[in-house]
Amino acid sequence: MAEQIDRELTMSRAMVEAIATEMRENDEVFYMGEDVADYGGIFDSTEGLREEFGYDRIMDVPISETAYLGAAVGAAQEGMRPIAELMFVDFFGVAMDQIYNQMAKNTYMSGANVSVPMVLTAAVGGTYNDAAQHSQTLYGTFAHVPGMKVVVPSTAYEAKGLMHNAIRDDDPVAYMFHKRLMGIGWLPAPDGPKTPVPEEEYTIPFGSADVKREGADATIVTLGLHVHRALDAAESLAEDGIDAEVVDLRSLVPLDTDTIVDSIEKTGTLVVVDEDYRSYGVTGEIVASVADEALGALESVERVALPDVPIPYARPLENEVIPDAGDIEAAVKRTQ
Amino acid sequence: MTDGTDRVAVTLAEWPDDADSDEGVVVNWFVHEGKHVDADDSLCEVQIEKVSVDVFAPVAGTLAEVVAGEDAEFARGDTLAWITPDAE
Repeated sequence: MAEQIDRELTMSRAMVEAIATEMRENDEVFYMGEDVADYGGIFDSTEGLREEFGYDRIMDVPISETAYLGAAVGAAQEGMRPIAELMFVDFFGVAMDQIYNQMAKNTYMSGANVSVPMVLTAAVGGTYNDAAQHSQTLYGTFAHVPGMKVVVPSTAYEAKGLMHNAIRDDDPVAYMFHKRLMGIGWLPAPDGPKTPVPEEEYTIPFGSADVKREGADATIVTLGLHVHRALDAAESLAEDGIDAEVVDLRSLVPLDTDTIVDSIEKTGTLVVVDEDYRSYGVTGEIVASVADEALGALESVERVALPDVPIPYARPLENEVIPDAGDIEAAVKRTQ
Repeated sequence: MTDGTDRVAVTLAEWPDDADSDEGVVVNWFVHEGKHVDADDSLCEVQIEKVSVDVFAPVAGTLAEVVAGEDAEFARGDTLAWITPDAE
């Protein structure tokens, strides 16, 4: 971003701006989901779009994920470019066949006779007392299954660039946006996700992590909401003379291991922070990837993630299980 | 409306019809003090009861002062910010 940009946008407005631009340029792009038309998405993911594009292209669907995700797969295979939204990522369960056996596999199983150029958007994340079935951040579940790309914006700037890239991609992309980063009145965002956003179109390539803060003593690898919590932790650590580097993954599939390994070769210390469950997920994957490529450089490892429990409803319990800046800071200190 | 020094007040032009309350909260600012805005640019987002509404720049100019920052409460008619208009 060379020239000065005078305006900032919330993450939701940046996403909407990308979607609107792509919809103006290509009639085949349309958005389907629950409460996306007049309501504008319960997390503002389509705010204002129905007014511009109408009910045919900003389409409210019945509460049947299997039906409308399947319809999106079919539309994509016929040459349209649907964006289909899971109102909560937790609702994937009932439609997982459409996601991992159809959307993710039809290109391969048809010998490339069809492609599936769809975007599956999904709201993720807790921290606001919505209990176990509405607070999950299922990065690992979606990244684990081959056949779809998985991206996770942490700021408005990234949200717009990743969305443009996702819509233009001829393959399925899961775009997982954190509810607390959207900038909604009733779910306030931390300082951080609201950034300057260029008016013109731009893309951010997948498989490219971003160093949000440079440091020499420890590498914190994270994504989504926890990029901002890690930056807070880094500020606090700096007061204690520990200089932490924060790497924002931005993309789980494809994964930018090069940036992570470069950082570990500098610091020797790997702290992975994830809002998904600890076991069989992102933290394990990152540690294993680094161990594969740069075992000699790795002196110390910490995994900071949710414990393997259904997310509590009681506020003090939920706060206890979701890592905060203090937990990240403590983990970094344990490595030094 | 000016304050005698050429600055133009930024207020919510249209209060939502169905709102019972005369008070709101500023949720998000999109422009910092000192930045230039065009007329009708969205400056900030406010919330009145459950409804979110954008507040637009009445004129082109520089955002001179933010009076009601994020999380600030305000009443109907309050000045939320001041703009120094561009020279004619």
